[in-house]
Amino acid sequence: MVVDDSRLVRVQMEDVLKGTDYEVAAHCRSGEEAIERYAEVRPDLVTMDIIMQGMDGLDAAEIILKKNPDARIVMISSLAYEDTFERAKEIGAKGFVDKPFHQEQLLKVFEEALT
Amino acid sequence: MNTAATKEELEQILDQALQDVTERTAGVRLHQGDQPLGEDLCTVHITFDKGFDTSLTLCADTSLLARMARNSFHENAVTPEDVEEFSKEYFNVLCGKIVGAMFQATQVSAHFGTPVFYHGRYEPEGQEAQFILTYSDEQRAGAQLIHHVPSTRKDKADAAG
Repeated sequence: MVVDDSRLVRVQMEDVLKGTDYEVAAHCRSGEEAIERYAEVRPDLVTMDIIMQGMDGLDAAEIILKKNPDARIVMISSLAYEDTFERAKEIGAKGFVDKPFHQEQLLKVFEEALT
Repeated sequence: MNTAATKEELEQILDQALQDVTERTAGVRLHQGDQPLGEDLCTVHITFDKGFDTSLTLCADTSLLARMARNSFHENAVTPEDVEEFSKEYFNVLCGKIVGAMFQATQVSAHFGTPVFYHGRYEPEGQEAQFILTYSDEQRAGAQLIHHVPSTRKDKADAAG
């Protein structure tokens, strides 16, 4: 499940995952939508943007993980700061990818998150 | 930017980020040069609200941004709304990349506001261009990445220099 309010990122994600073992089960444009749809979609993996309109991705991830401790969430952001990494780790995110992402880098983080 | 980085280091960070992000998001290679901009222009602008007191502006030929939007969105034709949406998202990613590189270089955590899009050229009020990086692509469309600083700071620097 891809959570990002950017059309550019959503298209790039589809491109990068084309021909791989992954497919996008759902797109969400906000943290609120991701929380609402997680139970319905039950994705193997969530990619979560950090800065979005309304609730940010870290808060949304924290709420999803509190309700679903087995959720596998990878944070994706252009804000690659140490404190952001640390907060992502603290809430239980399985990885961090900075934008713009490479296919190789993304798939490696996905594999690590799923093992 | 109010950092320990020199102007030359900052120019290098901006240049690398712009070339990398442009190629990776839109499949367009931009090279520094002196290509003058055309008359049909669009501008995207962000202001730093934490870490730095400066701003960044990208002013580009509309044809270049439209081509980048078509490539990125995989569309044969794009509307002006698509160009605006693409330009804001692209500049957001670019500025994020710049802020990340600046953090690596200076340990200053910066934050910037939502990108604002303008048709035509836009000059931020109360600021002056510290430097301008000029680019063109293989179709001779141009773009300028401009680092703006508060006017008073530039005046003081000029007076001191």
